Amino acid sequence: MLPAWLDFMGYGPRLFIGGLLTLEVALLSLLIGLVLGLLAASAKLSRSAFLRAIGTAYTTLIRGVPDLVLMMLLFYGGQIGVNAVTDWLYSVSGGTIDMYININAFTAGSITIGFIIGAYMAETFRGAFLAVEKGQMEAAEAYGMRPLQTFWRIRFPLMMRHALPGIGNNWLVLLKMTALVSIIGLSDMVQVADEATRANHAPFLFLIPVALGYLIIAGLSEIVFQWLTRRYNTGVLEGDE
Amino acid sequence: MDGLLSQLGDYLNGNQVFTVSTLAMYWQGLVNTVQLVFIALIIGLLLSLPFAVMRSSKKAWLKWPVWAFTYLFRATPLLIQLYIAYYGFAFIHPAEGSLLSTFSNNALYPALLAFTLNTAAYTTEIFHGAIKATSRGELEAARAYGMSRSLMMRRIILPSAFRRALPTYGNEVIFMLHASAIASTVTIMDLTGAAYYVYSRFYTPFPAFIFVALLYMVLSFGIQGLFKMLERKLLVHQRPRS
Amino acid sequence: MSDTTPPLVVSNIHKRFGDNEVLRGLSLTASKGDVITLIGSSGSGKSTFLRCMNLLERPDKGSIQVHGEEIRFKESRRGRELADLRQVERVRARLSMVFQNFNLWSHMTLLQNVIEAPVHVLKVPKAEARERGMALLERVGLAERAQYYPSQLSGGQQQRGAIARALAMEPEVMLFDEPTSALDPELVGDVLKVMRELADEGRTMIVVTHEMSFARDVSDQVVFLHQGLIEEAGVPAQVLEQPTSPRLRQFLAPKH
Repeated sequence: MLPAWLDFMGYGPRLFIGGLLTLEVALLSLLIGLVLGLLAASAKLSRSAFLRAIGTAYTTLIRGVPDLVLMMLLFYGGQIGVNAVTDWLYSVSGGTIDMYININAFTAGSITIGFIIGAYMAETFRGAFLAVEKGQMEAAEAYGMRPLQTFWRIRFPLMMRHALPGIGNNWLVLLKMTALVSIIGLSDMVQVADEATRANHAPFLFLIPVALGYLIIAGLSEIVFQWLTRRYNTGVLEGDE
Repeated sequence: MDGLLSQLGDYLNGNQVFTVSTLAMYWQGLVNTVQLVFIALIIGLLLSLPFAVMRSSKKAWLKWPVWAFTYLFRATPLLIQLYIAYYGFAFIHPAEGSLLSTFSNNALYPALLAFTLNTAAYTTEIFHGAIKATSRGELEAARAYGMSRSLMMRRIILPSAFRRALPTYGNEVIFMLHASAIASTVTIMDLTGAAYYVYSRFYTPFPAFIFVALLYMVLSFGIQGLFKMLERKLLVHQRPRS
Repeated sequence: MSDTTPPLVVSNIHKRFGDNEVLRGLSLTASKGDVITLIGSSGSGKSTFLRCMNLLERPDKGSIQVHGEEIRFKESRRGRELADLRQVERVRARLSMVFQNFNLWSHMTLLQNVIEAPVHVLKVPKAEARERGMALLERVGLAERAQYYPSQLSGGQQQRGAIARALAMEPEVMLFDEPTSALDPELVGDVLKVMRELADEGRTMIVVTHEMSFARDVSDQVVFLHQGLIEEAGVPAQVLEQPTSPRLRQFLAPKH
């Protein structure tokens, strides 16, 4: 049972579940964004002109198109696109490949936000990779580490130190972006508040607590990032750099 | 080239999506988006100037209210700010013909209010950062030459802060253009609203949204080009000279 | 005010930063045409002393008279404060300072830097200020750089520009705060040459410097500061050639 002041005219439980959904979308998008960001940063820093072009095209596209439009394109267009592919697979395989992939608001929302934040992350990672001294990697090679070992044991942790503040900023941008999934019909906390507001003609009763919800999540993530910063900054003297 | 054009003509003749009436719709959406964003940016910019000066003040009663304002508007989603403004006006039922009734009858006004305050908050922080970055030595020189506080603000601090803030402010303008897409959720027929209408009428997501994405892209890169030009003009003092 | 009134008289200046008493009762009189150099090791308080003269630092005790006009202070809960900011602004406009790090305004061209304070503080008509500004840039050898921005100039050029900016105020006294310390050795000469010319013209100058040759050849009076006090003062021939204080002798001894 929720205490009375959290009841919100009966919407309390749904608002809470909506809040969890907001967090789920945010965390999934973060994961997608981190992976895409790393890939895109590597592409932009690669020696291959083709990969560099792809990386640039990706970040340029994101700079040019609103997040909501991309989300609508993926949500409303995605199902048609996926159906076309599965139909084609069905017909060429003579019926042996028969599958149905459902693009729902959760998938479309998380993928879109992850895709957008990935471009932000790419810039963050690119800058961070460039900030790592070459000598550190040379030392690793000199001691016989293989390229993959050098990357994961030396280059990546050193890069994270420079990337963390940027990742923190991107996370806050992403968190606010999750509000958009309410527009394509996902019952996150904004959507529940919107519905309750319309039904009760109470413009502040639901929306302001949800705004506070965002402030609380942002505040908690601040604590996590401080902890992470301390972790990755071991060995850095205060006032260094 | 001619072949391409005639092919395009055939395509346009043969399809039902991009007719005169839907193109007119996109046009109206474009006008609404540009209008909304432009007015919000102008008023937001004007507000942010005194706000940034207050935010940079040493007096607590000037500094902290502005800090709270920028914090709240930057830490919460614009969509919620838009809803609060929209429903706030929609549910107060003011007397017919009063100024408030114009606000509650036309979603454009609450949207303008939310967008204006939001961009004012971001722009205030951009200027505040730029003001804080003013070189101490240059300020000292201004004091040593007998400038008063207000003259120093007008002639030294603000002009150099504007220039430093320019690239970041360019990003804010593009951000606002993109963020304005949510205006379609409160019945405003902006660019995204037009695209959504075309999509739901013909059930053709790809042409409807890709076309509008291209329009946004042209606008975004137009703005970016404009700011690059401004930077070239105003940031000469940071470039080496041969 | 008669013409014999000294342009700058400071007496019994005290200044502390926290527990650290930096200036412990310093007095100095600059008569018209005097060139006074302040020397001393770092931490002796010479720069702070100079900055007290135009109130960039507020002295805790002591008085300052600019051409007979006494700077007014008031006592408040937080200690001693300036009583009249307008007065201070007016006085500062008559004492131009040249800084160690030039401090030219980076968003203005050299010429704009030179005419900025004359036009906006002294209310000189713009056309007149430009004409005089160009003449001043001409005499410091930077006329063809008038439209350059500070970042496009070498340190020596910036400092000569800063001197032109100071001259444009037609100051009663020019204050120089280690004007050559931030310059590469090969650029120091040009700046010192301009300063020598100013001294020859009879300008009243107070110069904090490490350039002993300048102190010896140009100044009328050399003041050696040690730990916030005047340890020794007099004409250069006496102070630099026959120092009486052991600390000054140590300071002047050739460094290894």
